[in-house]
Amino acid sequence: MSKSAERVPQKRKRKVFRRDRVQPPPPGPLELDPFQVEAIESLLAGYDVLVAAPTGTGKTLIAEKLLEKVIASGKGAVYTSPIKALSNQKYRDFVAQYGKDKVGLITGDLSINEGAPLLVMTTEIFRNWCFANPEMLDQTTHVIFDEVHYLDDAERGTAWEESIIFAPGHMRIVGLSATVPNIREIANWIADIRGRTVKIIEERRRAVPLNLGWISAEGDVLEEEEAHEYIKEKVERRKGRWAESELAGAAGDYEKRGRRS
Amino acid sequence: MAKAGGKPSATEVVFSIQDHLPALYFAFGRGKTELLAEEISREWDFLLPGEKEKVAEIIREAEVQNTGLFGHRRHNLKQILIQGIGYHHAGMSPALKDLVERLYESRLIYVLFCTETFAVGVNFPAASTVFDSCRKWDGREFRGLLNREFYQMAGRAGRRGFDPIGHVFVRIDDRFPEQTGFYREDEVEPVRGRLAISPNTVLSLLYWKTDEEINRFLEQNLAAYQNNRESRRLKGELEALEGKNAELGNCFCENIYQPSCFLLRAKLKNELRSLSRRRKRGRPGSRERREEIRAILKVAPKKCQHHLCVDARKKQDLYTEKRTRLSRRLKVLDRHSRDFEMEFNNMWDLLEALDYVDGRELLPRGLFALYLHVQEILVTELIFNGYIRDRAPQEVVAILSGVDYIPGREEYVEPGLIKLDHVEELRKYLLKKGVPENFCVWSHLPGPLSSAWYDGAAFEELMARSSLQEGDIFSMLRRTIDLLRQIERAAGEDVELRRQMEHIRHRLDRDEVAIMGI
Repeated sequence: MSKSAERVPQKRKRKVFRRDRVQPPPPGPLELDPFQVEAIESLLAGYDVLVAAPTGTGKTLIAEKLLEKVIASGKGAVYTSPIKALSNQKYRDFVAQYGKDKVGLITGDLSINEGAPLLVMTTEIFRNWCFANPEMLDQTTHVIFDEVHYLDDAERGTAWEESIIFAPGHMRIVGLSATVPNIREIANWIADIRGRTVKIIEERRRAVPLNLGWISAEGDVLEEEEAHEYIKEKVERRKGRWAESELAGAAGDYEKRGRRS
Repeated sequence: MAKAGGKPSATEVVFSIQDHLPALYFAFGRGKTELLAEEISREWDFLLPGEKEKVAEIIREAEVQNTGLFGHRRHNLKQILIQGIGYHHAGMSPALKDLVERLYESRLIYVLFCTETFAVGVNFPAASTVFDSCRKWDGREFRGLLNREFYQMAGRAGRRGFDPIGHVFVRIDDRFPEQTGFYREDEVEPVRGRLAISPNTVLSLLYWKTDEEINRFLEQNLAAYQNNRESRRLKGELEALEGKNAELGNCFCENIYQPSCFLLRAKLKNELRSLSRRRKRGRPGSRERREEIRAILKVAPKKCQHHLCVDARKKQDLYTEKRTRLSRRLKVLDRHSRDFEMEFNNMWDLLEALDYVDGRELLPRGLFALYLHVQEILVTELIFNGYIRDRAPQEVVAILSGVDYIPGREEYVEPGLIKLDHVEELRKYLLKKGVPENFCVWSHLPGPLSSAWYDGAAFEELMARSSLQEGDIFSMLRRTIDLLRQIERAAGEDVELRRQMEHIRHRLDRDEVAIMGI
């Protein structure tokens, strides 16, 4: 393959050996992890729940299990997401899962099926509802905040805070968060302000562990130690080049002259 | 494989990671994603002939649904998609982003150059993630990625039940090796409360909430809660310190700082030595003081275990130092604990001065602004000062599309025929009245585009008349639609205003600007 590439370099492009041709496609639905089971149980038992887990460990699945139950019981739930494009995407997913008449979408510039039991919203809209028309949420038992660590967003964090503080008292709060070290503190705050226990479900382990590598200027993959060393060397060499030129130049001569006098 | 003098180009990086594809290649900057994609497309091709046909087929279908999908500016993208390479950023039209996403999900893109937004929310896992750099522009400055941000993106590596390990690669920039990022998952930053009090917050609280609820909001929001907790912790620490300090006091005998005490004598000896130096000898009072000290030192020293006293004394000094540090921090926290109350009161005063509220009573302006969530003061003033009502729709849409619009560097739009200087005047007037700058954000820039769109111009035409990218024009118009809806709601019984807004909104919400697939 590479030989032919060398023979006609300007026409043929480089190809990689495609391992995935022999690999099977990813398997279907996976078994639930213990933390997912725990989260779902606490939710079904009617607790406020804060789930902190790394990206891609299946937090959404927890939300979906809850939504299924809420819809089946004839009540409603709100799902908020931080980005409008994401709300649209979630809406499409939920429609595929629960049917068009069960799902509504409300963002600033769009609103579909406002009376549906499952409403996908931006957090800002939910915040506005909490103030202006909380009676619309009378039949809504849960609010799910996806990416609740957006609380820390300088521009938009306020919407999450006002939502948590002013969500109607009967609503259960479900927060899905990336791993944050002070999840307990946030849970305590929510418990404090809402006057109810908040269950914390934390998963630190990734579904697939990560391996970090650094790629040098030569295209080598380095481990952390090597990378540190490599960078140190690079920086030093740059400094060194600068010092050498100085020694060879005027500064060096000046020093010699100085010593003589 | 490296070139001499080695800048590790994306081409070489791909060579190094070719066993771990597909890869998400994060770059910070739209232009950068395009450049890198184009660079590797010159050397790499990832797709088999059958797959190429599939890609071409999907593209053809998408083009049938959205004529001019690639427009004039994105022909290069069509070419490189056929090679299994793509890019994805906020400057692209939603239809095009959607196409790239679908190709990625169908495993027809092997290296996708993307910006941070690709990592938020929707799960697009890859075998590996690559960081072109670890610094990003956050609206104010270039800064290194936080641990939280890094892991949000890096975590896309590793497809569940498929890859045993997710590979994350950080490129070392040869020119700035010292800027290379190193990250630890156990050092992810804690979440802090960030409450900011907007005019709408104050109006909403005054209108819908009781005094008690308002106080609870001001005193128990997350930032205040975290502040209180830290104060409480510090107070506890201070108390413990005082206790330890008092305990140390028991080490000393009743003769402490008497002439016979070693502590006093050591101190005096030091002073004497210093006063005896040539420089200080002649100073007035120096002689007398020296004599005084000598007289005290004549008293016989007490025979005791004075090193214990010295140790205790040193420890006490350390405690005092720590105490000052803690109480200083405590004072800072204390000062900030009233921040929200002050912020709230300042905003309340301002709203009172502008005739939005009278005490707790909302006036017509206040009741209107209650339903606005962007630049509520500016928009309310536009309406109440006759900038909108009974004006030509082209002018209205030009004004409203500029609300909350912050032009990017070097953004350019061909000027239109509508004069908007009077809006600038209003803005200046409000600033003079004490409205903070961030509640008066408006730009004339998008005006010509939005009014042309209202008049039925083609999307391509808007593109031709400005340097804005299709994604920017799209979101500018969507934001205008959002604002129009807010005004409709705020108009309430004012049917005329509501109709006016509705009419404009329906004209804007069409073709490329409509949300597809919903």
